[in-house]
Amino acid sequence: MDEILNYSLADFQYNDNPDVLEPPEDFEAWLQNPRINYCFSFFEQQLLCMPRTTTEIKSNLDQQKRKMINLTSYNYLGLSSHPEVIQAAHEALDKYGTGASGAPLLSGTFDLHIKLAKKLAEFKEQEDCLLFSNGLAGNMGAIQGILRKGDFFILDEKCHKSLVDGGTLSGAKMLFFQHNDMDSLAQMLEKSKGKRTLVAVEGVYSMDGDLVKLPEVLELCHQYQAAIYIDEAHSTLMFGPNGKGVAEHFGLEDKMGVSFGTFSKSFGVVGGFVCSNARLIRYMKCYSSPFHFSCAPSPVMVGALLKSLEVATRDSSLRDKLWENTAYLKKNLLDLKLDLGKTESQVIPIIIGSSGEKLFQMATEIQKRGLFLQPVDFPAVPAHSRRFRISVSSQLTKEEMDKACNIIEDVIVKGLK
Amino acid sequence: MDKEQIYAVVKKYILENLEDLQDSDIDPQKSMKDYGANSLDIIEVVSCSMRELKIKIPRSELADIKTIDELADKFLANMSAEANQ
Repeated sequence: MDEILNYSLADFQYNDNPDVLEPPEDFEAWLQNPRINYCFSFFEQQLLCMPRTTTEIKSNLDQQKRKMINLTSYNYLGLSSHPEVIQAAHEALDKYGTGASGAPLLSGTFDLHIKLAKKLAEFKEQEDCLLFSNGLAGNMGAIQGILRKGDFFILDEKCHKSLVDGGTLSGAKMLFFQHNDMDSLAQMLEKSKGKRTLVAVEGVYSMDGDLVKLPEVLELCHQYQAAIYIDEAHSTLMFGPNGKGVAEHFGLEDKMGVSFGTFSKSFGVVGGFVCSNARLIRYMKCYSSPFHFSCAPSPVMVGALLKSLEVATRDSSLRDKLWENTAYLKKNLLDLKLDLGKTESQVIPIIIGSSGEKLFQMATEIQKRGLFLQPVDFPAVPAHSRRFRISVSSQLTKEEMDKACNIIEDVIVKGLK
Repeated sequence: MDKEQIYAVVKKYILENLEDLQDSDIDPQKSMKDYGANSLDIIEVVSCSMRELKIKIPRSELADIKTIDELADKFLANMSAEANQ
Protein backbone atom coordinates (compact mmCIF):
# COMPACT_ATOMS: atom_id res chain seq x y z
CA MET A 1 0.00 0.00 0.00
CA ASP A 2 2.09 2.90 -1.21
CA GLU A 3 -0.56 5.58 -1.12
CA ILE A 4 -1.70 4.75 2.37
CA LEU A 5 -3.80 7.87 2.79
CA ASN A 6 -5.99 6.91 -0.17
CA TYR A 7 -7.25 3.92 1.79
CA SER A 8 -10.24 4.09 4.10
CA LEU A 9 -12.42 1.80 6.19
CA ALA A 10 -14.14 0.86 2.92
CA ASP A 11 -11.04 -1.13 1.95
CA PHE A 12 -10.67 -3.62 4.78
CA GLN A 13 -14.09 -5.20 5.27
CA TYR A 14 -13.11 -8.11 3.08
CA ASN A 15 -10.75 -10.23 5.17
CA ASP A 16 -8.64 -12.85 3.42
CA ASN A 17 -6.13 -13.40 6.22
CA PRO A 18 -5.63 -17.19 6.42
CA ASP A 19 -5.81 -16.88 10.22
CA VAL A 20 -9.46 -16.28 11.01
CA LEU A 21 -8.55 -14.69 14.34
CA GLU A 22 -6.56 -11.91 12.68
CA PRO A 23 -7.70 -8.83 10.75
CA PRO A 24 -6.56 -8.34 7.14
CA GLU A 25 -2.76 -8.31 7.00
CA ASP A 26 -2.53 -4.71 5.80
CA PHE A 27 -5.17 -3.35 8.23
CA GLU A 28 -2.84 -3.08 11.22
CA ALA A 29 -0.12 -1.42 9.13
CA TRP A 30 -2.68 1.07 7.86
CA LEU A 31 -3.96 1.80 11.36
CA GLN A 32 -0.47 2.30 12.75
CA ASN A 33 0.41 4.90 10.13
CA PRO A 34 0.75 8.14 12.14
CA ARG A 35 -1.60 10.06 9.84
CA ILE A 36 -4.32 7.42 10.01
CA ASN A 37 -3.78 7.00 13.74
CA TYR A 38 -4.25 10.73 14.15
CA CYS A 39 -7.55 10.65 12.21
CA PHE A 40 -8.75 7.79 14.42
CA SER A 41 -7.99 9.86 17.53
CA PHE A 42 -11.24 11.74 16.86
CA PHE A 43 -13.16 8.53 17.54
CA GLU A 44 -14.27 7.50 21.03
CA GLN A 45 -13.26 10.67 22.83
CA GLN A 46 -14.42 10.48 26.41
CA LEU A 47 -17.24 12.68 27.64
CA LEU A 48 -16.72 13.43 31.31
CA CYS A 49 -20.23 14.63 32.13
CA MET A 50 -23.75 14.78 30.63
CA PRO A 51 -23.96 15.50 26.88
CA ARG A 52 -25.41 18.95 27.51
CA THR A 53 -24.86 21.82 25.11
CA THR A 54 -21.78 22.72 27.10
CA THR A 55 -19.98 19.57 28.14
CA GLU A 56 -16.50 18.36 29.00
CA ILE A 57 -14.39 15.85 27.11
CA LYS A 58 -11.00 14.28 27.56
CA SER A 59 -9.44 15.04 24.22
CA ASN A 60 -7.63 12.21 22.46
CA LEU A 61 -5.51 14.83 20.67
CA ASP A 62 -3.56 15.90 23.74
CA GLN A 63 -5.20 14.07 26.68
CA GLN A 64 -6.40 17.45 28.00
CA LYS A 65 -9.76 17.83 29.71
CA ARG A 66 -11.60 20.48 27.78
CA LYS A 67 -14.89 22.31 28.26
CA MET A 68 -16.70 22.31 24.94
CA ILE A 69 -19.78 23.67 23.23
CA ASN A 70 -21.46 20.51 22.04
CA LEU A 71 -22.79 20.42 18.46
CA THR A 72 -22.33 16.68 18.08
CA SER A 73 -24.57 14.78 20.54
CA TYR A 74 -27.98 13.55 19.36
CA ASN A 75 -29.56 14.98 22.52
CA TYR A 76 -31.79 17.09 20.24
CA LEU A 77 -34.34 18.02 22.92
CA GLY A 78 -32.03 17.84 25.92
CA LEU A 79 -34.01 14.95 27.38
CA SER A 80 -31.03 12.78 28.39
CA SER A 81 -30.19 15.41 30.99
CA HIS A 82 -33.74 16.60 31.78
CA PRO A 83 -34.37 16.60 35.55
CA GLU A 84 -37.84 15.01 35.25
CA VAL A 85 -36.47 12.22 33.03
CA ILE A 86 -33.59 11.56 35.41
CA GLN A 87 -36.03 11.51 38.35
CA ALA A 88 -38.26 9.01 36.51
CA ALA A 89 -35.21 6.80 35.88
CA HIS A 90 -34.35 6.94 39.60
CA GLU A 91 -37.89 5.94 40.54
CA ALA A 92 -37.91 3.02 38.09
CA LEU A 93 -34.52 1.92 39.38
CA ASP A 94 -35.75 1.92 42.98
CA LYS A 95 -38.88 -0.03 42.14
CA TYR A 96 -37.69 -2.49 39.47
CA GLY A 97 -33.89 -2.73 39.80
CA THR A 98 -31.34 -2.43 37.03
CA GLY A 99 -32.26 -5.05 34.44
CA ALA A 100 -35.27 -6.79 32.94
CA SER A 101 -33.60 -10.15 33.63
CA GLY A 102 -35.20 -11.98 30.75
CA ALA A 103 -36.44 -12.05 27.19
CA PRO A 104 -39.84 -10.33 26.76
CA LEU A 105 -41.76 -13.55 26.03
CA LEU A 106 -40.60 -15.33 29.19
CA SER A 107 -39.82 -13.02 32.11
CA GLY A 108 -38.63 -9.69 30.69
CA THR A 109 -41.98 -7.92 30.25
CA PHE A 110 -42.81 -5.46 33.04
CA ASP A 111 -45.92 -3.32 33.34
CA LEU A 112 -43.71 -0.41 32.28
CA HIS A 113 -42.94 -2.06 28.92
CA ILE A 114 -46.64 -2.61 28.19
CA LYS A 115 -47.43 0.98 29.11
CA LEU A 116 -44.66 2.44 26.92
CA ALA A 117 -45.53 0.25 23.91
CA LYS A 118 -49.20 1.26 24.16
CA LYS A 119 -48.38 4.96 24.40
CA LEU A 120 -45.98 4.79 21.45
CA ALA A 121 -48.49 2.94 19.27
CA GLU A 122 -51.11 5.60 20.03
CA PHE A 123 -48.56 8.34 19.40
CA LYS A 124 -47.65 6.90 15.98
CA GLU A 125 -51.33 6.17 15.16
CA GLN A 126 -50.62 2.47 14.76
CA GLU A 127 -52.24 -0.53 16.46
CA ASP A 128 -49.28 -1.92 18.35
CA CYS A 129 -45.61 -1.50 19.08
CA LEU A 130 -42.53 -3.62 19.71
CA LEU A 131 -39.70 -2.37 21.95
CA PHE A 132 -36.05 -3.20 21.35
CA SER A 133 -33.07 -2.80 23.70
CA ASN A 134 -30.97 -1.41 20.87
CA GLY A 135 -31.93 0.89 18.00
CA LEU A 136 -29.81 -0.75 15.32
CA ALA A 137 -31.08 -4.17 16.35
CA GLY A 138 -34.64 -2.85 16.22
CA ASN A 139 -34.38 -1.71 12.61
CA MET A 140 -32.46 -4.80 11.58
CA GLY A 141 -34.76 -7.11 13.50
CA ALA A 142 -37.92 -5.58 12.10
CA ILE A 143 -36.78 -6.14 8.51
CA GLN A 144 -35.49 -9.63 9.34
CA GLY A 145 -38.81 -10.38 11.05
CA ILE A 146 -40.98 -9.20 8.14
CA LEU A 147 -39.18 -10.24 4.94
CA ARG A 148 -38.21 -13.64 3.57
CA LYS A 149 -36.26 -15.10 0.64
CA GLY A 150 -38.24 -14.39 -2.52
CA ASP A 151 -39.47 -11.02 -1.22
CA PHE A 152 -38.15 -7.69 -2.48
CA PHE A 153 -36.70 -4.99 -0.23
CA ILE A 154 -36.26 -1.64 -1.96
CA LEU A 155 -34.23 1.00 -0.10
CA ASP A 156 -33.15 4.56 -0.68
CA GLU A 157 -29.37 4.33 -1.25
CA LYS A 158 -28.81 6.59 1.78
CA CYS A 159 -30.67 4.36 4.22
CA HIS A 160 -28.90 3.39 7.43
CA LYS A 161 -26.73 0.27 7.74
CA SER A 162 -29.25 -1.28 10.15
CA LEU A 163 -31.78 -1.50 7.31
CA VAL A 164 -29.20 -2.92 4.91
CA ASP A 165 -28.14 -5.52 7.47
CA GLY A 166 -31.78 -6.40 8.13
CA GLY A 167 -32.29 -6.95 4.40
CA THR A 168 -29.20 -9.14 4.19
CA LEU A 169 -30.34 -11.25 7.16
CA SER A 170 -33.86 -11.63 5.76
CA GLY A 171 -32.67 -13.19 2.49
CA ALA A 172 -34.91 -10.84 0.49
CA LYS A 173 -33.68 -9.47 -2.83
CA MET A 174 -32.39 -5.96 -2.11
CA LEU A 175 -32.64 -3.16 -4.64
CA PHE A 176 -31.35 0.36 -3.95
CA PHE A 177 -32.87 3.43 -5.62
CA GLN A 178 -31.03 6.70 -6.10
CA HIS A 179 -31.51 9.07 -3.21
CA ASN A 180 -34.99 10.63 -3.27
CA ASP A 181 -35.23 9.94 -7.02
CA MET A 182 -38.74 8.83 -7.95
CA ASP A 183 -37.80 7.66 -11.47
CA SER A 184 -35.19 5.38 -9.94
CA LEU A 185 -37.70 4.11 -7.34
CA ALA A 186 -40.24 3.40 -10.11
CA GLN A 187 -37.59 1.42 -12.02
CA MET A 188 -36.92 -0.73 -8.97
CA LEU A 189 -40.65 -1.22 -8.31
CA GLU A 190 -41.03 -2.42 -11.92
CA LYS A 191 -38.47 -5.14 -11.15
CA SER A 192 -40.36 -6.33 -8.08
CA LYS A 193 -43.83 -6.22 -9.66
CA GLY A 194 -46.03 -9.06 -8.48
CA LYS A 195 -43.78 -9.95 -5.54
CA ARG A 196 -44.16 -9.06 -1.88
CA THR A 197 -42.31 -5.73 -1.70
CA LEU A 198 -41.33 -3.42 1.14
CA VAL A 199 -39.93 0.07 0.44
CA ALA A 200 -37.75 1.63 3.16
CA VAL A 201 -37.11 5.35 3.53
CA GLU A 202 -35.90 7.60 6.32
CA GLY A 203 -37.78 10.64 7.62
CA VAL A 204 -34.58 12.65 7.94
CA TYR A 205 -31.45 11.33 6.22
CA SER A 206 -28.77 11.34 8.87
CA MET A 207 -25.72 12.57 6.99
CA ASP A 208 -27.45 15.26 4.89
CA GLY A 209 -30.40 16.33 7.01
CA ASP A 210 -32.80 16.34 4.07
CA LEU A 211 -36.29 14.82 4.20
CA VAL A 212 -37.82 11.92 2.31
CA LYS A 213 -40.17 12.94 -0.50
CA LEU A 214 -42.86 11.04 1.31
CA PRO A 215 -46.01 11.94 -0.70
CA GLU A 216 -44.29 10.90 -3.95
CA VAL A 217 -42.87 7.68 -2.45
CA LEU A 218 -46.27 6.77 -1.04
CA GLU A 219 -48.00 7.37 -4.36
CA LEU A 220 -45.56 5.03 -6.11
CA CYS A 221 -45.99 2.43 -3.37
CA HIS A 222 -49.76 2.52 -3.90
CA GLN A 223 -49.36 2.32 -7.65
CA TYR A 224 -47.18 -0.80 -7.37
CA GLN A 225 -48.95 -2.26 -4.33
CA ALA A 226 -45.78 -2.12 -2.25
CA ALA A 227 -45.73 -1.46 1.50
CA ILE A 228 -43.84 1.43 3.06
CA TYR A 229 -41.44 1.34 6.05
CA ILE A 230 -40.32 4.67 7.47
CA ASP A 231 -37.33 5.08 9.76
CA GLU A 232 -37.95 8.16 11.89
CA ALA A 233 -34.76 7.91 13.96
CA HIS A 234 -33.84 11.57 13.45
CA SER A 235 -37.38 12.99 13.27
CA THR A 236 -39.56 11.49 16.03
CA LEU A 237 -40.58 14.02 18.73
CA MET A 238 -39.42 16.86 16.47
CA PHE A 239 -41.33 16.98 13.17
CA GLY A 240 -45.06 17.46 12.69
CA PRO A 241 -47.60 19.57 14.59
CA ASN A 242 -47.56 17.03 17.44
CA GLY A 243 -43.99 15.81 17.11
CA LYS A 244 -44.99 12.46 15.63
CA GLY A 245 -42.39 12.68 12.90
CA VAL A 246 -41.90 13.45 9.23
CA ALA A 247 -44.95 11.33 8.32
CA GLU A 248 -47.07 13.72 10.40
CA HIS A 249 -45.22 16.69 8.88
CA PHE A 250 -46.65 15.56 5.52
CA GLY A 251 -50.04 14.67 7.05
CA LEU A 252 -49.47 10.98 6.26
CA GLU A 253 -48.91 9.49 9.73
CA ASP A 254 -51.79 7.03 9.37
CA LYS A 255 -50.60 5.83 5.96
CA MET A 256 -47.33 4.23 7.05
CA GLY A 257 -47.12 0.43 6.87
CA VAL A 258 -44.39 0.30 9.51
CA SER A 259 -42.93 3.18 11.52
CA PHE A 260 -39.59 2.81 13.25
CA GLY A 261 -37.96 5.11 15.80
CA THR A 262 -34.95 5.14 18.08
CA PHE A 263 -34.79 6.02 21.77
CA SER A 264 -31.16 7.17 21.65
CA LYS A 265 -31.69 10.47 19.88
CA SER A 266 -34.50 12.88 20.76
CA PHE A 267 -35.73 10.57 23.56
CA GLY A 268 -32.30 10.80 25.20
CA VAL A 269 -32.16 7.15 26.30
CA VAL A 270 -31.26 4.01 24.27
CA GLY A 271 -33.13 1.39 22.22
CA GLY A 272 -35.66 1.36 19.42
CA PHE A 273 -39.33 0.71 18.62
CA VAL A 274 -41.40 -0.47 15.70
CA CYS A 275 -45.09 0.34 15.25
CA SER A 276 -47.47 -1.35 12.82
CA ASN A 277 -50.75 -3.26 12.67
CA ALA A 278 -51.38 -5.60 15.62
CA ARG A 279 -51.16 -8.78 13.52
CA LEU A 280 -47.74 -7.95 12.13
CA ILE A 281 -46.41 -6.93 15.57
CA ARG A 282 -47.73 -10.22 17.03
CA TYR A 283 -45.96 -12.13 14.22
CA MET A 284 -42.73 -10.17 14.66
CA LYS A 285 -42.73 -10.93 18.39
CA CYS A 286 -42.20 -14.56 17.39
CA TYR A 287 -39.79 -14.07 14.48
CA SER A 288 -37.79 -10.88 15.02
CA SER A 289 -34.66 -12.27 16.66
CA PRO A 290 -33.43 -9.13 18.47
CA PHE A 291 -36.81 -9.02 20.24
CA HIS A 292 -37.45 -12.72 20.68
CA PHE A 293 -33.96 -13.75 21.80
CA SER A 294 -32.78 -10.65 23.61
CA CYS A 295 -33.26 -9.30 27.11
CA ALA A 296 -35.99 -6.66 27.24
CA PRO A 297 -34.98 -3.00 27.68
CA SER A 298 -33.90 -2.14 31.22
CA PRO A 299 -36.84 -0.89 33.31
CA VAL A 300 -34.67 2.10 34.26
CA MET A 301 -34.57 3.08 30.61
CA VAL A 302 -38.28 2.41 30.13
CA GLY A 303 -39.16 4.57 33.13
CA ALA A 304 -37.06 7.37 31.65
CA LEU A 305 -38.62 6.87 28.19
CA LEU A 306 -42.17 7.20 29.52
CA LYS A 307 -41.18 10.54 31.02
CA SER A 308 -39.31 11.65 27.87
CA LEU A 309 -42.42 10.98 25.79
CA GLU A 310 -44.56 12.90 28.26
CA VAL A 311 -42.21 15.90 28.50
CA ALA A 312 -41.73 16.14 24.73
CA THR A 313 -45.43 15.90 23.88
CA ARG A 314 -47.24 17.73 26.70
CA ASP A 315 -46.65 20.96 24.78
CA SER A 316 -44.59 22.11 21.81
CA SER A 317 -42.04 24.17 23.74
CA LEU A 318 -39.01 21.89 23.24
CA ARG A 319 -39.50 21.39 19.52
CA ASP A 320 -40.40 25.05 19.02
CA LYS A 321 -37.09 25.98 20.61
CA LEU A 322 -35.30 23.36 18.50
CA TRP A 323 -36.62 24.90 15.28
CA GLU A 324 -35.88 28.39 16.50
CA ASN A 325 -32.28 27.37 17.21
CA THR A 326 -32.02 25.51 13.90
CA ALA A 327 -33.20 28.57 11.97
CA TYR A 328 -30.79 30.83 13.88
CA LEU A 329 -27.79 28.58 13.29
CA LYS A 330 -28.64 27.98 9.63
CA LYS A 331 -29.01 31.70 8.95
CA ASN A 332 -25.66 32.45 10.56
CA LEU A 333 -23.92 29.63 8.71
CA LEU A 334 -25.45 30.65 5.37
CA ASP A 335 -24.36 34.23 6.03
CA LEU A 336 -20.85 32.79 6.24
CA LYS A 337 -21.44 31.35 2.71
CA LEU A 338 -20.94 27.77 3.90
CA ASP A 339 -22.24 24.80 1.88
CA LEU A 340 -24.96 23.21 4.00
CA GLY A 341 -26.10 20.79 1.30
CA LYS A 342 -29.86 20.26 1.16
CA THR A 343 -30.56 20.21 4.87
CA GLU A 344 -34.18 20.72 5.94
CA SER A 345 -33.76 19.65 9.55
CA GLN A 346 -31.79 19.91 12.78
CA VAL A 347 -29.04 17.87 11.12
CA ILE A 348 -26.84 20.45 9.39
CA PRO A 349 -23.82 19.35 7.37
CA ILE A 350 -21.01 21.79 6.63
CA ILE A 351 -19.56 20.33 3.46
CA ILE A 352 -15.90 21.16 2.99
CA GLY A 353 -15.06 19.08 -0.12
CA SER A 354 -12.70 16.30 -1.06
CA SER A 355 -9.65 17.00 1.10
CA GLY A 356 -9.43 14.64 4.04
CA GLU A 357 -6.28 16.43 5.16
CA LYS A 358 -8.10 19.76 5.37
CA LEU A 359 -11.03 18.13 7.18
CA PHE A 360 -8.83 16.80 9.97
CA GLN A 361 -6.70 19.96 10.22
CA MET A 362 -9.88 21.94 10.76
CA ALA A 363 -11.26 19.33 13.16
CA THR A 364 -8.13 19.64 15.31
CA GLU A 365 -8.30 23.41 15.49
CA ILE A 366 -12.05 23.38 16.15
CA GLN A 367 -11.56 21.02 19.05
CA LYS A 368 -8.70 23.00 20.54
CA ARG A 369 -10.85 26.13 20.34
CA GLY A 370 -13.51 24.42 22.48
CA LEU A 371 -16.12 23.26 19.98
CA PHE A 372 -17.18 19.59 19.96
CA LEU A 373 -17.97 19.23 16.25
CA GLN A 374 -16.89 15.93 14.75
CA PRO A 375 -15.55 15.39 11.21
CA VAL A 376 -17.36 12.91 8.94
CA ASP A 377 -15.08 11.23 6.43
CA PHE A 378 -15.38 8.78 3.49
CA PRO A 379 -16.91 6.14 3.35
CA ALA A 380 -19.61 7.48 5.70
CA VAL A 381 -20.11 10.25 3.12
CA PRO A 382 -18.95 10.51 -0.52
CA ALA A 383 -15.23 11.25 -0.95
CA HIS A 384 -15.99 14.55 -2.70
CA SER A 385 -18.16 15.88 0.13
CA ARG A 386 -16.37 15.33 3.40
CA ARG A 387 -17.96 17.38 6.12
CA PHE A 388 -18.70 18.39 9.65
CA ARG A 389 -22.17 17.53 10.90
CA ILE A 390 -24.04 19.68 13.37
CA SER A 391 -26.76 18.21 15.58
CA VAL A 392 -28.79 21.17 16.82
CA SER A 393 -30.24 21.01 20.32
CA SER A 394 -33.22 22.87 21.72
CA GLN A 395 -31.02 23.59 24.75
CA LEU A 396 -28.42 25.69 22.93
CA THR A 397 -28.31 29.28 24.08
CA LYS A 398 -27.78 32.20 21.71
CA GLU A 399 -24.39 32.79 23.35
CA GLU A 400 -23.33 29.19 22.72
CA MET A 401 -24.46 29.37 19.09
CA ASP A 402 -22.71 32.71 18.54
CA LYS A 403 -19.50 31.38 20.04
CA ALA A 404 -19.75 28.22 17.92
CA CYS A 405 -20.30 30.29 14.76
CA ASN A 406 -17.27 32.43 15.60
CA ILE A 407 -15.09 29.32 15.86
CA ILE A 408 -16.58 27.95 12.62
CA GLU A 409 -15.85 31.26 10.89
CA ASP A 410 -12.28 31.42 12.21
CA VAL A 411 -11.45 27.83 11.32
CA ILE A 412 -13.68 26.53 8.51
CA VAL A 413 -14.48 29.70 6.57
CA LYS A 414 -10.88 30.90 6.70
CA GLY A 415 -9.59 27.39 6.00
CA LEU A 416 -11.67 27.13 2.84
CA LYS A 417 -10.31 30.40 1.40
CA MET B 1 -2.03 -11.21 -17.42
CA ASP B 2 -3.84 -9.39 -20.23
CA LYS B 3 -7.12 -7.53 -20.20
CA GLU B 4 -9.10 -10.49 -21.54
CA GLN B 5 -7.96 -12.63 -18.62
CA ILE B 6 -8.80 -9.88 -16.14
CA TYR B 7 -12.21 -9.48 -17.74
CA ALA B 8 -12.78 -13.23 -17.43
CA VAL B 9 -12.10 -13.05 -13.67
CA VAL B 10 -14.51 -10.14 -13.20
CA LYS B 11 -17.15 -11.87 -15.32
CA LYS B 12 -16.82 -15.07 -13.29
CA TYR B 13 -17.68 -13.19 -10.09
CA ILE B 14 -20.52 -11.26 -11.74
CA LEU B 15 -22.07 -14.59 -12.77
CA GLU B 16 -21.52 -16.00 -9.28
CA ASN B 17 -23.16 -13.06 -7.54
CA LEU B 18 -26.02 -12.05 -9.81
CA GLU B 19 -29.05 -14.20 -10.39
CA ASP B 20 -30.50 -15.20 -13.76
CA LEU B 21 -27.52 -14.05 -15.79
CA GLN B 22 -25.78 -15.97 -18.59
CA ASP B 23 -22.21 -15.51 -19.82
CA SER B 24 -23.44 -14.28 -23.19
CA ASP B 25 -25.69 -11.66 -21.54
CA ILE B 26 -22.78 -9.62 -20.23
CA ASP B 27 -21.75 -6.58 -22.23
CA PRO B 28 -18.54 -5.03 -20.82
CA GLN B 29 -19.68 -1.58 -21.89
CA LYS B 30 -22.51 -1.77 -19.35
CA SER B 31 -22.53 -1.28 -15.61
CA MET B 32 -23.11 -4.10 -13.14
CA LYS B 33 -26.13 -2.07 -12.01
CA ASP B 34 -27.64 -2.64 -15.47
CA TYR B 35 -27.75 -6.32 -14.57
CA GLY B 36 -29.52 -5.73 -11.26
CA ALA B 37 -26.45 -5.52 -9.01
CA ASN B 38 -26.91 -3.57 -5.82
CA SER B 39 -24.02 -1.87 -4.03
CA LEU B 40 -23.39 -4.95 -1.85
CA ASP B 41 -23.19 -7.17 -4.95
CA ILE B 42 -20.68 -4.78 -6.52
CA ILE B 43 -18.49 -4.79 -3.39
CA GLU B 44 -18.52 -8.59 -3.51
CA VAL B 45 -17.56 -8.77 -7.21
CA VAL B 46 -14.80 -6.17 -6.84
CA SER B 47 -13.39 -7.69 -3.62
CA CYS B 48 -13.35 -11.25 -4.99
CA SER B 49 -11.78 -10.11 -8.26
CA MET B 50 -9.05 -8.10 -6.54
CA ARG B 51 -8.26 -11.00 -4.23
CA GLU B 52 -7.88 -13.41 -7.17
CA LEU B 53 -5.82 -10.90 -9.13
CA LYS B 54 -3.69 -10.17 -6.03
CA ILE B 55 -4.18 -6.41 -6.26
CA LYS B 56 -5.62 -3.82 -3.89
CA ILE B 57 -7.04 -0.51 -5.08
CA PRO B 58 -8.63 2.02 -2.69
CA ARG B 59 -12.43 2.19 -3.00
CA SER B 60 -12.18 5.95 -3.23
CA GLU B 61 -10.41 5.47 -6.60
CA LEU B 62 -13.15 3.19 -7.91
CA ALA B 63 -16.07 5.53 -7.20
CA ASP B 64 -16.17 7.08 -10.69
CA ILE B 65 -15.97 3.84 -12.67
CA LYS B 66 -19.10 3.38 -14.74
CA THR B 67 -18.69 0.16 -16.75
CA ILE B 68 -17.30 -3.36 -16.39
CA ASP B 69 -14.76 -2.50 -19.10
CA GLU B 70 -13.51 0.52 -17.13
CA LEU B 71 -13.13 -1.69 -14.06
CA ALA B 72 -11.02 -4.19 -16.04
CA ASP B 73 -8.91 -1.27 -17.35
CA LYS B 74 -8.34 -0.01 -13.82
CA PHE B 75 -7.27 -3.48 -12.66
CA LEU B 76 -4.95 -3.82 -15.66
CA ALA B 77 -3.35 -0.42 -15.02
CA ASN B 78 -2.76 -1.33 -11.39
CA MET B 79 -1.22 -4.71 -12.29
CA SER B 80 1.03 -3.11 -14.91
CA ALA B 81 2.18 -0.46 -12.41
CA GLU B 82 2.93 -3.17 -9.84
CA ALA B 83 4.87 -5.21 -12.42
CA ASN B 84 6.98 -2.20 -13.37
CA GLN B 85 8.04 -1.49 -9.78
